[in-house]
Amino acid sequence: MLNYKINSDEIDKIGNFTEEERNFRLKNLDYFNDIGFPNKKNEDWKFSDLKAIVSKNFSKLDIQLSKSKKQKVDFIKDFEHNYIVVVNGELTISDFKYEEKSNITLKSFTNNNYSNKKEKNPLINLNHALSNKGFFLEIKENYRFKKILVIYYLFTKDLDENILNSKNRIKIGKNSELHLLDYFVNDSKKNFFNNVHEDIILENSAILKNIYLQNSKSSGYFHKYSKNKLLTGSHYTSFIFPAGLKFNKLDLEFNLEGERSECNLQSASFLDGIDHQEIKTRINHLSPNCKSHQKVKNVLNAQSKGVYQGKIFVKDVAQKTDAYQLSKAILLSENSEFDSKPELEIYADDVKCSHGSTSGNLDKDSIYYLMTRGLNQLESKQLLINAFLNEIADTIKSNSIRNFIKTKMETQLLNGYKKH
Amino acid sequence: MLEIKNLKASINNKDILKGFNLKILPGEVHAIMGPNGSGKSTLANILSGKEGYTISGDLKYQGSRLDEIPIDERAQKGIFLAFQYPTEIPGVNTSNFLRTSLNKVRKAQGKKELDALSFLKIVKEKSNELGMDEKMLSRQLNVGFSGGEKKKNEILQMKILDPNLIILDETDSGLDIDALKIVAEGVNSSRNSKKSFLVITHYQRLLNFIKPDFVHVLSDGRIIKSGTKDLAIELEKTGYKGIN
Repeated sequence: MLNYKINSDEIDKIGNFTEEERNFRLKNLDYFNDIGFPNKKNEDWKFSDLKAIVSKNFSKLDIQLSKSKKQKVDFIKDFEHNYIVVVNGELTISDFKYEEKSNITLKSFTNNNYSNKKEKNPLINLNHALSNKGFFLEIKENYRFKKILVIYYLFTKDLDENILNSKNRIKIGKNSELHLLDYFVNDSKKNFFNNVHEDIILENSAILKNIYLQNSKSSGYFHKYSKNKLLTGSHYTSFIFPAGLKFNKLDLEFNLEGERSECNLQSASFLDGIDHQEIKTRINHLSPNCKSHQKVKNVLNAQSKGVYQGKIFVKDVAQKTDAYQLSKAILLSENSEFDSKPELEIYADDVKCSHGSTSGNLDKDSIYYLMTRGLNQLESKQLLINAFLNEIADTIKSNSIRNFIKTKMETQLLNGYKKH
Repeated sequence: MLEIKNLKASINNKDILKGFNLKILPGEVHAIMGPNGSGKSTLANILSGKEGYTISGDLKYQGSRLDEIPIDERAQKGIFLAFQYPTEIPGVNTSNFLRTSLNKVRKAQGKKELDALSFLKIVKEKSNELGMDEKMLSRQLNVGFSGGEKKKNEILQMKILDPNLIILDETDSGLDIDALKIVAEGVNSSRNSKKSFLVITHYQRLLNFIKPDFVHVLSDGRIIKSGTKDLAIELEKTGYKGIN
């Protein structure tokens, strides 16, 4: 059993830091070491006992120090795109061939915020202490990307019981627009832990459309904390299509700080084997006339586990808030589990907030109907599962991107779902 | 085509069919009429293979034991049930579904599968015959369809799959007179010396448009009277209670 505490010597191995940064890292390390990986006694982790999961699956967790070598990339050919390649969390190459480069800044991440506090989520402290990679992307004002930007997140074969900590920040200037595909390709067959801290800022009237997609199922253990700041009139749409990891927790916080800002979060997952996935959201409505919309769909096979914890917070000044949250799950196996915890905390009196959560089995009458038309049982079930999940991808406007995603998802489904 | 001898069926320990006999030859149209709860829909379900029933007796389709054939293979071998309440299936595109279904049946019958273009030609032609709006084909399967649209969609599937034994389970329910005529015409134009129909209905009305060769009255799980289409007219006058 791994008792994961990090010696302060490790920080000096990561790099030579200023006194201020070193102290910041040491302090955060203390915070983390006090608690370690969170267990189910922590309310936010009650469905995902990370301490138990890490202890069971890791005998050690080495900080990954070696500088990532250039990696061969299997570029997507289905649609034209700009790209950034991130290897084991580290920014390597990029190409903005369809854009006016003067409007774009991309560089390796350097932290300059050393205000530290004990975070509710100890993995944030862990990231602050150990983070040594990542990127900073900034789009200037009044610039709309002509083509989508694909960020290839590659994980190399040599990863084995390593921990990666990275920080990424994306800032989109006033009236600018970016479409982004976070595309994960994992070559490692071994266990490793990827701990990401993401910071996204949408200035006034900025638009971000983001798609999260895994190339295939993988044996990684992923945690991402994402903090998103939306200023006046900005729009953030996020599509999340995780294919299933051994462990995956997305802890997403959206702060609707400016009036008329909107966030739209949609997710579709097919979980199989012993996949464990949690999507935790916190939407903070902090200004009037903001909208948030969340739809999370899960299909769970074998012994997989899915969790959705969705919280909507409405501040007293945030009148005319329109907040919606829906979770739907289909359980294909008696051994699969889905936990859902919707939460509303509302201090304004003129708001529209609703939430719903359903979970159940595939509809028997639908299977029967399809079988009377010549499809066998497996085909009928696959068709129904695809139909259930495709509802999310179907709302993506670009044909080539939508088809690319649907094909990926359907392939994953066909590969994974043979037992029923 | 179909031969049923002494069929008994129960569900949740409740006996529904209590010794049902029927023989249908190729080209024949049989109507089964009967009051609520007489076992009409159970018969349709058993012929299509729905699970949940305990059955005994002899069921033969084209000489093979029907009860040993899985649901999907029944469809592939030419049995078609037009549902009383077609299931709404969100997220499944009607046209894609029809093509998948047709190609499954064609493949099983050793025919070449159709590509999207050749399929589209067929489906457009058949849906026009039924006065269906082509837009329906791009909608989700039966989702938000009116009663009439659902029934037309069933008949469309029947015409596309070109089956041998067609069971129409209360296809007339929920149809206005215009839709009823179109649906009946869809059935009549499919009649030939090789196809057999089993028309299940409450009312004689449908049989004004689809003229049966034989009419059977089902009551309490048994056929209590058989005759020609005149029996249906008699029933309309006397009601089911008048038959004994």
